[in-house]
Amino acid sequence: MSALEILKAPRPAAANCAASAIVPGMSLKSAAPRRAMRQRKSEQVNARLIERLKAGDQDALEAIFNLYSVKLYNVALRILGDAADTEEVIQDVFWTAYRKAKSFQGNSQFSTWLYRLTVNAALGKIRRSKKNKEVEYEEFLPKFQNDGHHAVRPVVDWSDTLDEKYTQREVQDLLARALDQLKPLDKSVVVLSDLEGLCDKDIAAAVGLTVSAVKTRLHRARLFLRGKLSVQLGYSAA
Amino acid sequence: MAKPKRSSTRTTDKTCDQVTALVLGYLTDNLSASVRREFEHHLTICPDCVSFLNTYKKTTAVTKSVKQGDIPTHVRDNILTFLRKRIRRIGMLVIYILTQSVT
Repeated sequence: MSALEILKAPRPAAANCAASAIVPGMSLKSAAPRRAMRQRKSEQVNARLIERLKAGDQDALEAIFNLYSVKLYNVALRILGDAADTEEVIQDVFWTAYRKAKSFQGNSQFSTWLYRLTVNAALGKIRRSKKNKEVEYEEFLPKFQNDGHHAVRPVVDWSDTLDEKYTQREVQDLLARALDQLKPLDKSVVVLSDLEGLCDKDIAAAVGLTVSAVKTRLHRARLFLRGKLSVQLGYSAA
Repeated sequence: MAKPKRSSTRTTDKTCDQVTALVLGYLTDNLSASVRREFEHHLTICPDCVSFLNTYKKTTAVTKSVKQGDIPTHVRDNILTFLRKRIRRIGMLVIYILTQSVT
C-alpha cells in the first residue's frame, strides 16, 4: 500500500468502552444499533443475575458461568498457554465471583470485573509456577540511527506477502508462539485489546494499570510481535 | 506593513523514530490535528515508514484474527461439578452453625 493509499484509507476507530464489554452471544461485528439494543437488554439481565448472585443463588452462578465462561476461558488460556492451569484458574474465578459478589459495587461493567478476576488469577498462577517463558524484547524491536532514521533500510513491507507464504492456520500458529513469549502483563493487555476488543479504559480497569500504561504496553508488545513476524519471514526486525 | 502570518498548516519534520512512537495514536485516531499532519507528511517522504506502518497494521490484524476456541465439555463439567460441591458444602456448614447456635 502506498503512502497516498494509507492516507486515504479510513483509520479504525478506537474501541468504544460501552460497546466493547462482553455481551453474551454477540459478535463484535454486529451492526451498531442492534448491538446497543442487545447490550441494554443484556445489562438488564445481568443486573438481575448479579443481585441473585449476591444473594447466594446457585442457579444465578450457573447462568453467569454459561454466559461468560467461554470468553474467560479463552483469555486465561492465551495468558497461561496451558489447559490444566486454565481449568484451575477458571474454577477459581467463578468460585471467587460467587463468594465475593457482594464486593462488586457496579463501578465498572460486571464483565470487566470478571476479566479482572481472570487476569489476576492467571498472573498469580504464572508468578507462583515460575514457568515464565518470556524473552528479551530488544532484539525484535525497531532500531534507529542517531539521526532518527531506520537503522536497517529499506524496511521491507511484507504485509501482502505474509498470506502468500503461509496459510491462515500457519500465520495464527506463528503469532500464537510469539504471543506466548510476551511478558505476562503485556500478553494480558494484547489479549484483552486485540482478541477481546476491549477499550483501553476497560483494559486498564481489568489489569490494574493506567490508560497511558496500557497504551505503552500495547504498542511495545505489538512492536515485538511485528519483529517476530519479520524475522520469521527472513527480514530484519529493525 | 504587517508581517505575513505563518501558515497554520506548516509542518515540522518528524524522524522515523518519532513517527514509530506515534503509530498507535495514529491508528486509534488519538493524535492532535497538527501532529497527525506531521505524521502524514512524514509518510509522503519516507517509504520505510510506510512499510513499517503497513507491517504494524498487518500484525495487529493477524492478532485480531486469532481464533477463539470453545471450552471443552469435560472442563466445563469439571468446573460446574466443583462449584456445585462447594456451594453444597457451604450450605451444610450454614445449617450446622445455625443448629449449634439454637441448641
